[in-house]
Amino acid sequence: MELLGLSAREIAAGVKAKKFTAEEAVRASIERIKRYDKKYNAIVALCEEEAVASAKRVDEAVARGEEPGALCGVPYVVKDNFCTKGIVTTCCSKMLKGWVPNYDATAVEKMKEAGAVLIGKANMDEFAMGSTTESSIFGATLNPRDRTRVPGGSSGGSAAAVAAGYVPVALGSDTGGSVRQPAAFCGVQGMKPSYGQISRYGIVAYASSLDQVGPLAANVGDLALLMDVLAKGDPNDTTCDAYERPSFTGAAAKASLAGKRVALLTGYDRGSLDAPLSAAIDRAVEICRAEGASIIDVKLPITMEHSVACYYMVALGDASSKLACYDGMRYGHHADGRNLSEMYKKSRMEGFGEEVRKRILVGTCILTRGYYENYFVPAMKVRQLISDEFKNLFEEADMLICPISPALAYKRGLGEKDPVRMYLGDVFTTIANLAGLPSVSLNLGFTAEGLPTNVQLLAPRFGDDGLLCCAAAIERAAGAPHIAELTEDD
Amino acid sequence: MKREVVIGLEIHLQLKTRTKLFCSCSTDYIGATPNTNVCPVCLAVPGTLPVINDLAVDLAVKMGLGLHCDIQDGTRFHRKHYFYADLPKAYQITQYEHAIAQGGYLDIIAEGKKKRVHLDHLHLEEDAGKLVHPTADGRLSGAAYSLVDYNRGGMPLSEIVSRPEMNSPAEALAYIAQIRQLARYLDVSDGEMESGSLRVDVNVSLSNPDGSLGTRVELKNINSLRSIGRALEYEIARQNRVLDEGGELEQETRLWDDAAGVTRSMRSKEGARDYRYYVEMDLAPIDAKPDYVRRIRESLPEMPWDKRDRFVSEYGLSLEESQQITEQREVADYYEEIVKAGAPAAKAANWMRTEVQRILRDDALDITEFPISARRLGELISKVEKKELSNTQAKDVLAAMYGEKLSLEEAMKKCGASGEKMTGGALEAVVEKVFASQPEAVDAIKKGADKKGAKVKFLQGLVMRETRGSADPAEVARTVAELLK
Ligand SMILES: [Zn+2]
Repeated sequence: MELLGLSAREIAAGVKAKKFTAEEAVRASIERIKRYDKKYNAIVALCEEEAVASAKRVDEAVARGEEPGALCGVPYVVKDNFCTKGIVTTCCSKMLKGWVPNYDATAVEKMKEAGAVLIGKANMDEFAMGSTTESSIFGATLNPRDRTRVPGGSSGGSAAAVAAGYVPVALGSDTGGSVRQPAAFCGVQGMKPSYGQISRYGIVAYASSLDQVGPLAANVGDLALLMDVLAKGDPNDTTCDAYERPSFTGAAAKASLAGKRVALLTGYDRGSLDAPLSAAIDRAVEICRAEGASIIDVKLPITMEHSVACYYMVALGDASSKLACYDGMRYGHHADGRNLSEMYKKSRMEGFGEEVRKRILVGTCILTRGYYENYFVPAMKVRQLISDEFKNLFEEADMLICPISPALAYKRGLGEKDPVRMYLGDVFTTIANLAGLPSVSLNLGFTAEGLPTNVQLLAPRFGDDGLLCCAAAIERAAGAPHIAELTEDD
Repeated sequence: MKREVVIGLEIHLQLKTRTKLFCSCSTDYIGATPNTNVCPVCLAVPGTLPVINDLAVDLAVKMGLGLHCDIQDGTRFHRKHYFYADLPKAYQITQYEHAIAQGGYLDIIAEGKKKRVHLDHLHLEEDAGKLVHPTADGRLSGAAYSLVDYNRGGMPLSEIVSRPEMNSPAEALAYIAQIRQLARYLDVSDGEMESGSLRVDVNVSLSNPDGSLGTRVELKNINSLRSIGRALEYEIARQNRVLDEGGELEQETRLWDDAAGVTRSMRSKEGARDYRYYVEMDLAPIDAKPDYVRRIRESLPEMPWDKRDRFVSEYGLSLEESQQITEQREVADYYEEIVKAGAPAAKAANWMRTEVQRILRDDALDITEFPISARRLGELISKVEKKELSNTQAKDVLAAMYGEKLSLEEAMKKCGASGEKMTGGALEAVVEKVFASQPEAVDAIKKGADKKGAKVKFLQGLVMRETRGSADPAEVARTVAELLK
């Protein structure tokens, strides 16, 4: 039985129908990782023993005739900032090197309940700060589509694991595009749900008001399946609403654009996009029109002008606050000092990498009296204006189409050479986080050189089901991406 | 030159909840093994998130309503940042610019005068852990290491901030006592200073000649009402002395050294510390819709000051008596039960303040532990009123009821106070007995040596004592005279 390239739905159905066992699916996944990941470095901790044991439990349950979950026997990986009970969780930072949580993140728990099997922890930018997965203490992940390029970040390991065919689905976290941009760079589908849709409990925080768990998969149907499993209220996270969710798989199965009002973002320099990405947008619009949607051109002047600055104000201010708990006292890297203050300084100086220190420093500055009033408070007001701009937009449209990133997957090393360009690359993704909107990164095929092209779709807050319905329709017309062909040689 | 004293108080009340403010750890930490009342949330383990304890919000709103504050809907928490070993998140979750209860006031009586003290606000916050320094005197200096106990970390506190409107130590003490009484009436907090469930920071300054506020000094680390009084007296005198000598006061925080009876400078320029307050995005704004506030308001008991004034008008007590009886809600309730059982209000008040309070004090009992029901005590007191028992007898009966756990009837029998008057033959027998014990006096009277009648009076007194007051004094006099013939 060839398991490579099967979707999560196909694997779950196969295990349920006893065409193959969960153990076989899990072992296939582990074998592929063992064979190729020395080259790609997407996985930072493989938990083979635990995975095989869980898979056997799933098989036993199936044998007993118990109702298996929606993801029964499906292998998956999570970004290394999800707490996993008994399995190292490091945020790819020296600060948490070797740290083993004694509890599972709610999202991990939900996956387990649905019968999914955790294979390992995926590489990421240290503490989710970066767009290239190059700042990990475990070294950079390579893009499975082109090893000279980065997989995007910060959930680069998760996106690469799906693109490489290690696992059909993976989980990442998206603070300013950290699921969608790597999905785009690696040629898979990625989603950032509405803020408050999935519990953040157990996700090591970057920025409380922006972070959201996001699924990655090779197709929209699997994204919807993960949404059904993950999007539930959680008493441990009071920002995760306890409302009754619609069926996301039901919505995706409809896959329809008929009668939909689709907004196309204009008012920025289309010429500044890499040509294949501009073409991908045209293609998506064409599909929408052909499928019976009406197209309107819209501008988001405040959003386009201010979102990046606003995003970094909010994110870095929050990050400096959330990362203050790493003081060397109770867990994580500890350095001795002659007094308390020296201990803090040395522990934090040694434990955090350069990008993280830089962001904490800027964030601390932003929250300092004076700067707070002059920079942070206005940023919060701008954030409200951005939300308002979207509220108005979604009164006349059901969905917005815009780019994910202005560029195709970057060559490795760009972050060091041109950090500002890298930050500006976030202009289109951060808006969804600032406004709390659901957003999907949708693959639209590949360039002649084999680089993935893509578009971003956005919908009103808690319009995640409608978004998946449209995304599935576009995917049906454009075709879902296939997994990458890997090589073992250099 | 007379400078006016200006005092403002910040009172931390530990709220009476079973679990901490943001997690489900027990609040029962006194005497618990260090670091046993902790969980991933209150230790700030990565990935954890705070969840608000609704009961703590209810209690804060209750207290706010008791203090006549405006309850705000949709208030938020802030993070107050500083690195310290007892603060796991490196920020304290507190309410900064959006306190749940705003404004308000408290009427106090100090040195016989009523006064209204206005409040700035009441807010909710979590407590920090505790450092233990393993030196002989428990101080940090000289210790090679320190231990941290996070059991107290995350305990729910409400901080009540007054405006600087108190003008004497007596007013400050009356204010604290009134807050404590209210907290106990509302069952919001134990309000005990010894166990730390009520903590007070004092701001004190002397007004300038032009009436403007002088340099403000904050006093911390004061653990009893008595110490607060002493610390204030000391600090006021110190500030006056510095100013009299032409010196200048520094804005600073001073610690009260109870043993030495002085305040000492802790750190100056406290105001310069930047806590980098930031909205706590992990917690949604607090819902306090008018409906909810109305429900809490309707659940409030009678306020202590209302009870105090009502006891004056309804029972005719003096303000002082009423104040004493209403000090504790349960005592006041007990008193009202006695009155309901038929005891006259004035006499009941007297009994409460003397006999009952004495037993409670001597045996360190709470009124709720007092074994004699209010109804029985009421009956006992009404027997005195009906002259079925003398005061002395009634006290003996109460002692027997309490000490020997007897019923009212049994105790009366035991004390020979069946309630019936001693007359006729029974009385004569007593008189004979007294005569027998005092042959010289009887002899002297019979010889006519008792010119002033002092010895007769003496014998009558002995008879009265012997009958425990159950005989009619006139009849006693008559019987004594007759038997002396
Ligand atoms: Zn706890």
